[in-house]
Order: sequence, then structure tokens, then C-alpha cells
Amino acid sequence: MIRIGDVLVSRGEGGVYGERMLGSARVWDPYRSKLAALYYVGTGTELAPGMKVLYLGAANGTTVSHVADYTEVVYAVEFAPHPMQDLLEVARRRRNIVPIMADACRPEQYAPLVETVDLLYQDVAQPDQADIAIRNCAFLKEGGTLILMLKTRSVDIRKTPGVVFEDTVAALKTAGLIVREQVWLAPYHQDHAAIVCTKPGPGYNTGEEP
Amino acid sequence: MRSYWFGDLDEGVWKPVPGDIPLRAGRVATLRTSLEDFIPLSWEDAVSCGVCTTRTEYIAALREVCFFAAEQEIRERYAGKDAELLQMVRTLDEMDTVINLLSERVSEWHQVRHPTFSRKYRKTPAHVLVKNIATKGRGALGRTAGQIEQLGVARTDLAREVSDRANRVMPNTSALIGGLVAARLMAIAGGLLPLSRLPASVIQVLGARTAIFAHLRTRSPSPKHGIIFQHRRVHNAPREVRGKVARVLAGKLAIAAKLDYFRGVAVPEFLDTAQARIDAVGIVITRKEEP
Repeated sequence: MIRIGDVLVSRGEGGVYGERMLGSARVWDPYRSKLAALYYVGTGTELAPGMKVLYLGAANGTTVSHVADYTEVVYAVEFAPHPMQDLLEVARRRRNIVPIMADACRPEQYAPLVETVDLLYQDVAQPDQADIAIRNCAFLKEGGTLILMLKTRSVDIRKTPGVVFEDTVAALKTAGLIVREQVWLAPYHQDHAAIVCTKPGPGYNTGEEP
Repeated sequence: MRSYWFGDLDEGVWKPVPGDIPLRAGRVATLRTSLEDFIPLSWEDAVSCGVCTTRTEYIAALREVCFFAAEQEIRERYAGKDAELLQMVRTLDEMDTVINLLSERVSEWHQVRHPTFSRKYRKTPAHVLVKNIATKGRGALGRTAGQIEQLGVARTDLAREVSDRANRVMPNTSALIGGLVAARLMAIAGGLLPLSRLPASVIQVLGARTAIFAHLRTRSPSPKHGIIFQHRRVHNAPREVRGKVARVLAGKLAIAAKLDYFRGVAVPEFLDTAQARIDAVGIVITRKEEP
């Protein structure tokens, strides 16, 4: 990841959402983007130029624009028409974003469009976030990374965030994923956690039994 | 057979889809892919299929299809008659908030200019006070008050339009509870389809979000009604049976919303029986009160 001093940045055309610029680099604000927050509080995974990314819950394209600066292609899935209008505008200027208007709960809707990806990134406000991630792992290559941004308050408002976090990690492990990292995104985002997993496969099983 | 956006693979032979963008987008929407034994596409398949030669070409072609599909989908989602009504209701509610805030501020400003002024023992409604300030106030104060007045006029017009449109878009719900409240219910639910999918118990407490979550978290009593309280039969009912009236009304509203979404026209047979049923709850109440 590119940092100038302590500041996380990405290199690309600026002015997407009024982000601050450091020279020609776009400042990636951890208070606005959960992925940026993950790079501040944890390790996450290194975004590389050749990477193919499936991004679920693309919203207004704020984080998507930064991910697209780092990677080869981003398949950005968003369901709601309003943020989709913004996402399309971002994608018009960034030619490596493929905007897909579909429901992340129904991967079969966009299965004919998406290729095998190196990184599956999910940031959706749904109750069954673990299940959505597991089903979308069909697009993830073996040894690929899943980053799940868990919105605990969307899962169940009556459960404490800690319990939701544990349940989700357990669900991912049961599905056979190797959990590499699990961190809260405080102080940048309240009641949000990041879970980084690896999809196991021949040569990628790190010996950790699920 | 494996089907992707650019073509089908049938018994080892690729069959490309012609390069027409609307045709490709339309086809993707109809594909039914099972994720059971799903093999994700690789872009080289598109090359074997003969639709492109380089990676850049592949992404460009895919983007064209996706943009077309997304723009079409957005247009369809906004085409629903409830999409604009939703914005109108939210604007109306926001206008109320703004008018109240500004009126209060202007009246405080006015008090500073007139040290002897007080609203105690006077029955001047807020909008009349604003009108007085608008005519008498000098400079920016008078002009601001004038603007608030105009905003009030726009608000009244908007309220009428909301009501009229609700009568057309959701005739059954509007007939039961009035256009304005019907539109508000729809706005809180997020649209006519989401509203039609709600159970009566949820419709009963729509708009009482704080109370319902306080109830779920703590031991506070459950709310009996949300915005359907604005219906005269609910707020005129005696306290002890108000919940009952709200429940019956919500039950009928749930049916009305479904009729509105799936039929879109007023159904007199339903409305007559529903009104009678809601009235019947009222009659039971009066009988209870008589002895």
C-alpha cells in the first residue's frame, strides 16, 4: 500500500468526492472508508496492480475509486438505484470499474458477468452477511482473499456487537475459510469489524484446521 | 451447457452472442445460472468465442453491457408511480422541520428587538407572528420572515399535491386513512412494494421506531401505534381501546396496501367491509361506555 508519511493514499484522477490531494496522490480517509480504516488498524491484504476484485456493496463508489486506483479491474456490485447513479459516474471516468446493478444476495444474477477474482470485498448492510460472503466465494480463486466488513448492527440490533462478531467468524470457519485477521475498526467506525480470510485450496492450506 | 454474457459453451463449442449491446444485456437478465456446479468465466473464453482479441477489448465490451443494463434498471426502478411521491413526502416533512426551526429563531430575534414583547397570554399562532414580523420587521429580519411565509405557502401546495397523488397511486390505503398519512406510511416503508410486503403488526407501529426499539431492548411497554395515530378513529378512541382500534386499522391497511400494489385501483367491496369493521370497533367502545 502507498503511504506518504503516515497518510494512506492511492494514485489516480482526483476530485471523485472532494478528497484531499497530496501532490498527485489521493488521500484515502479512514473515517470515510472502512477499507482504509482496516489498513490503519490492521494489515488487511496488499492491493496489487494485477488484481481482479469483486466488490459487493459498492454504494457511491467512494472506496471503489481507491481500490480501482490500485488494481487491474473491479467488479462493483450495487443494488440501490440512487447510489448506482453515482457509481456509474465514477465508473465512466475509471475504465477498470465494471458497474453491475444486482443484488449481492443473488450471485446467480451476475454469475454470467464476473470472472474468477483474487479478492472478494464485501460491505453490505444485510442480516446474513456471512452467508452472502460464503456464497460469493464461488467467484474467488483458491488462495484468494475475502475481506468482510461486518456491520454488526445490521445483523441483529438486539445482539451485542461482540456476539455477532464471534458468530460470523465461526460461520466463516465452518464454511471452510481460513480466518487470517479479525479486528474492530474503532475508532474510525463504530460497531464495525473487518474479517480477513483465505479461501483454501491445494497448496494454500496453511495447516490451520477449520 | 455453460452460459456467459458473451456466449454459450455447448459440448465444447463456443456459440457467441451478436455484439448488439441491448441484445446482450437483455440476454444476461434472462440467464438462469445455478451456482451448484458453477464455473466462473475466464476472459480467454471470450477470445475463444471470438467476441474479442485482447483483455482491454474484453473489459470495454463488458462495461458497455453493464452500463446499459444498469441505466435501464435505474430507469425502470424510478418509473414506479411511488418513486416521486416518496420524494414529495420527504420534502414535505423536511419543510415542516425547517419552517418550525426558522419561525422559532425569527421570533427570538424579534424579542431582542422588542424588549417588552412576550407571547404569554396571547393566542397568536406561530404563522401569524411570522406574518406580523414580515410586515413590520425592518431589514434582514423582515425579509427572512417573509421567506418563511412563502415557504409556508409552498408547503401547503405541496401537501395538497401529496394528498392528490396518494389518492391516485394508493387509492385503497388513502381511502382508509387519508392521502397524507397513506403517503407517509409508504415513505417510511420505503415504497409501495415494501409497504405491501409488511405485516399488519409492523404497519401498526411504523413511525414509532424509538418506542419499538426501546421496547425490544428494555422492559418498556410496546407502542400501540405509530403514525396511524393521526387517523381520527385512533386518536379519538378512548385510551384503553386505542390499541385495539389501531390493530384493526393496521390489519385493514395491510390488505389495502397489497391491493394498491397488485391491482392499483380502488376496490369498493373491500373498502366498504373494512370501513364497517373499523367502525364496529368504535361501536363496541361506545356500548362499553354507556352503562
